[in-house]
Amino acid sequence: MTNLFINDQEVEVAPGTSILEACRQNGVDVPYFCYHPELSVAANCRMCLVEVEGWPKPAASCCTPASEGMKIKTQTETLKTDRKMIMEYLLIHHPLDCPVCDQGGDCKLQDYAMEHGASKGRYVEHKRAVVNYELGPFVNTCMTRCIHCTRCVRFADEVAGTGDIGVLNRSDHMSIAGIVEEALESELSGNLPDICPVGALLDKPSLDVSRPWEMSNHKSTCTQCPNGCDISIESRGDEVMRIRPITGSPEPWICDRGRYVYDAFRSDARILEPALRRGGVLETVGWDEAFEEVVLALKDKRVGILCSPDWSVEGHTAIRLMRDSLFPDAKVSYDLHRRDMRAFAFEEGLAMTTTQIESAEQVVVLGSDLRQRLPLLMQRLRKRAYAGKPVSRIGAMNYRTNMDLSSDVIIRPRDWSSVIARAMDQVRDLGKDAAGFDAWLAAVPERHEAGKVLADALISKSCALLVGEEIRSHHDAAALIAGLDLLMRACGHAEVGNDGRNLIPEGMNTQLLSATFGDVRVSAGELFALASAGELDALIVVGSDPLGDGLFPSAAMAALTRVKMVQIGAIAGKIGRHVDVQLPAAAYSEIEGTFVNMEGRIRVASNPLRSLGQERPLWKVMMRLVQVMGADVPVVSLDELRSEVVKRVPEMAGAWDAVEQDKLLLKPARNRNVKFTPSKNKPAFELDVVSRYSMYREGMWARGSELLSKAAELHRLDDLLVHPDTLQAAGLSAGPMVVRSFLGETKCSVGVREDVSPGVLFVAKRGIAGDLSDLDSATLGGES
Amino acid sequence: MIPSDPQQVKQICFDRINIPHVNQLAIAQKNGAYAFLPTVLQEFESAKIIDEMKISGLRGRGGAGFPTGLKWSFVPRNTGKPTYLLCNADEGEPGTFKDRDIMRFDPHLLIEGMVMAGFALNVRDAYIYVRGEFLHEANVMNEAIREAYAANLLGENILGSGYSMHLTVHRGAGAYICGEETALIESLEGKPGRPRFKPPFPAVEGFYRSPTVVNNVETLASVPAILKHGGAWHAAIGVPNNTGCKIFSVSGHVNNPGNYEVPMGTSLKTLIEEYCGGLQHGTVPKVIIPGGSSTPWLMAEHYDVPLTYDAMAKAGSMLGSGAIIIMDETADVVAFSRRLAHFYAHESCGQCTPCREGTGWIERMMGRIEDGQGSEKDLPVLEQAAKHMAGRTICALADGATAPILSLLQHFPEEVRSRITENRL
Repeated sequence: MTNLFINDQEVEVAPGTSILEACRQNGVDVPYFCYHPELSVAANCRMCLVEVEGWPKPAASCCTPASEGMKIKTQTETLKTDRKMIMEYLLIHHPLDCPVCDQGGDCKLQDYAMEHGASKGRYVEHKRAVVNYELGPFVNTCMTRCIHCTRCVRFADEVAGTGDIGVLNRSDHMSIAGIVEEALESELSGNLPDICPVGALLDKPSLDVSRPWEMSNHKSTCTQCPNGCDISIESRGDEVMRIRPITGSPEPWICDRGRYVYDAFRSDARILEPALRRGGVLETVGWDEAFEEVVLALKDKRVGILCSPDWSVEGHTAIRLMRDSLFPDAKVSYDLHRRDMRAFAFEEGLAMTTTQIESAEQVVVLGSDLRQRLPLLMQRLRKRAYAGKPVSRIGAMNYRTNMDLSSDVIIRPRDWSSVIARAMDQVRDLGKDAAGFDAWLAAVPERHEAGKVLADALISKSCALLVGEEIRSHHDAAALIAGLDLLMRACGHAEVGNDGRNLIPEGMNTQLLSATFGDVRVSAGELFALASAGELDALIVVGSDPLGDGLFPSAAMAALTRVKMVQIGAIAGKIGRHVDVQLPAAAYSEIEGTFVNMEGRIRVASNPLRSLGQERPLWKVMMRLVQVMGADVPVVSLDELRSEVVKRVPEMAGAWDAVEQDKLLLKPARNRNVKFTPSKNKPAFELDVVSRYSMYREGMWARGSELLSKAAELHRLDDLLVHPDTLQAAGLSAGPMVVRSFLGETKCSVGVREDVSPGVLFVAKRGIAGDLSDLDSATLGGES
Repeated sequence: MIPSDPQQVKQICFDRINIPHVNQLAIAQKNGAYAFLPTVLQEFESAKIIDEMKISGLRGRGGAGFPTGLKWSFVPRNTGKPTYLLCNADEGEPGTFKDRDIMRFDPHLLIEGMVMAGFALNVRDAYIYVRGEFLHEANVMNEAIREAYAANLLGENILGSGYSMHLTVHRGAGAYICGEETALIESLEGKPGRPRFKPPFPAVEGFYRSPTVVNNVETLASVPAILKHGGAWHAAIGVPNNTGCKIFSVSGHVNNPGNYEVPMGTSLKTLIEEYCGGLQHGTVPKVIIPGGSSTPWLMAEHYDVPLTYDAMAKAGSMLGSGAIIIMDETADVVAFSRRLAHFYAHESCGQCTPCREGTGWIERMMGRIEDGQGSEKDLPVLEQAAKHMAGRTICALADGATAPILSLLQHFPEEVRSRITENRL
């Protein structure tokens, strides 16, 4: 440790800490603009000057390491004049438009001008004006206000990895600009206005709508992906104005999906009142009337339940209680993306924290578009690559990562078993073996060279596997995951405390979902098949949109016509057009509830925002349903409900009183005794179908948001994509053609991209049309 | 030939400069170039070379005057990274034009010096960063390097010694700031030339974050003579702590402007009157800028100051790169300062707030004052704007930019005032 004196106070900091950090850690105020704890040091604003005893000149504290015995002064007459002059230099060209600038009231420049600046500037020469540039739908630019701190440039280089913001020109002609006049490529672009210390980069969607002091903010949890970031919901009255990250939470940034989804809170897609379908049209009715209809539809009927994983823990438990009270035989499906519901050797959820993944020796991403799916985890991997640590990937497409991968192989989903088998061969040659290898290898005749990438990473000291959707949604997922589990055991990564087996889940609360519904779960496909076969009379759809999301839209469509549908949720989605009864439940910004993210991190939200209409927290709707159906109501308060949660998940005990919530991490489930080996069944068609997850249009909330829809349009790919070799092999050229599959023939336009694996048909339009999302294999043919 | 008696030495770097076509390898070799190189490569050890350099007392000729041997000794060994040697030939300081003469007339002297320095520092790749405008010089250097490669004086296994070094000329794009060593490194890496903050110092983390030595052309050109005759020989030339000879680029109101290499300690007056043919008008200079435009001005009372780093510092200025600009009473110091203010405002890299905004502010104020639009109130503002730039930035450009302004205000306030009042009418 290094001891130094700050304003005569002796303090202790870690070796290598900068003077500025030493001051920050010890509560000593040093003004700065360009420094940001998450970015590299630029040392260009010169506001953080301090005096070091014995040094002839003041030192920039952000870039000067603290050394033993250093005596630092942060408040002296000289520094006062220096800061006053720096403020004067900065304000030379800065416009005096604070009253019309959104940053006003929440602006470092304004604050420091008051604190350190002179009351009057002495500059009487010409002022400079700077041309603005276009940064897409989320970031507004007013470059005359820029003070050239280069935080945005460093953010684009180091965090977003896109490098699409740079510095042009020199001296006071210097300006910050996008490399090209188009939208930022980054999925984290919404953070730019947050890091800009002035009003040069402002949040475009909330531009000119509200002043900072009119807004109140409260802490909540984002449920737009299983990362479950801490968010601060800023609202004026009960209207959400914007969403921002929270300083000091595990992730300093949030993604554009989580940030801009808020305009869906007030969209027309919201379910705000109970409604009934009469003569084909949904009509608003009272709660009682709606429940009468629900009783007619469900009483003594064979019912299936489909729910979204994104409800709070309390919501899920309430669904389970409702099921147990009313429909003890009902099957529940909570995942629209899993075809194989056999027990996985390691179930969904991360065994490691994102921090542990960042620092692991090796990271292998298996079949995941991580940038779209978990933008913040991707950012962690980027950070790790920036520090020179390897990240490898195997998958069906060279999904964009905005970083340099150390190795990257594209394969067809049907090759997974031969990839794993190849890795098993290699680690066995190195003397690492597991009991199940023989049986597993015997089931796989071929070997795929991509396995070398996997094995090379596995033989290191610590290896984090990030198993993604391409494996999780595979027909044979349980066998593939069992194979990966064997590999991890053989290489010694699976012991207690050293578990690198991370299966990326589809939504929030996964650690609890298998505990809550493990004994009654089925895949959504099976549920729809039951409905289509006439074995169900009704479906209760709780916040899920099988027509817009997931792998079963066609099956869902087929089932719709056969059964009654009761929808309970906050937002209608595509399924809303077909349901018979709609009951409103409160959105995640409006409830008091508990969320568990993919790492098992627990967050308790207590949202003071009032509901917009008649919606109630999900658990109350469920209990009311139990009541109107004539059964005994199992819980009547949130506390009682929470004790029901603890009955199923004893680790949750005390979670609501915990002071340090981050210390309690719920571990994902493990099934040690599964011994699945790969199936020998070949897919029915020659091309494997992989569908794209787009962060801008997956999920009802994202589709309900105009902002995200606009971004989706900007980041659109061709609906269907194949590798040029695939077309050549089929004797076709890009353009309209016919896709043949078990659904029959569909006319489609197919585009070409080199980064799709040969032998793969990539469905990029999933979430919008969805017609081909049910497929796992297909073949292409010319139009007849 | 340089005499082996230090008392006889008049020139070191310019020893061969007047020999016609000495830029050609054959002629250079006939006149002693590379003669001592085999001895160095075969008989000297790295530590011995660095010791000799320390003993020689050679101080960096680029401007800062940092002892060269000491700089070399700071380079960490066995870091697992390569060590780079960069020759700073970006000679951009207004008033300086010495390095270009070495490069265009005696390029082999520089190459020989770089091979020796490279050998001492275990360098495999060395670069000469030439100012963009020096097209001819770069061409001459490249031709000389081609010849040196052909003669195995560069490249793999130089002269069978087992030591290999590659030398590449890189032309800058004409930015003054790229003469600052860390900006030079950034520029050579292909980035915009913006100085880096220190620490880490280039000796530890420089070019491509590897140990790097950046030396001026004249510094490296002094190495062959020092190694041949020994550090003690060099230390006996000039005056203690300011040893050897130094090239002075003299310009301004003198009858014979040009480059003159003299032993250090020679007085300024001697240099001007005996070598440069005296002043054009009168016998007393009005302004002496001793080390390039970035150094504070000296007045006539310092006319006989000895040309050494220490004496200049004592007189209140700096020896800098040895660019002496001398002006007699016909000089318009206000116009001159304004021109320099324009130069620095144009050349500021734009990183640090005080320099980015301050240089432009000063330029505009100086423009107004020169055009007779100034007022008495401008003078304290000008002084403050300048004073608070210096020493508050990453590099020393701001210090250089303020030197002429502060000198003007200190020494010629009446001229500034009369400019304000006269032109108002």
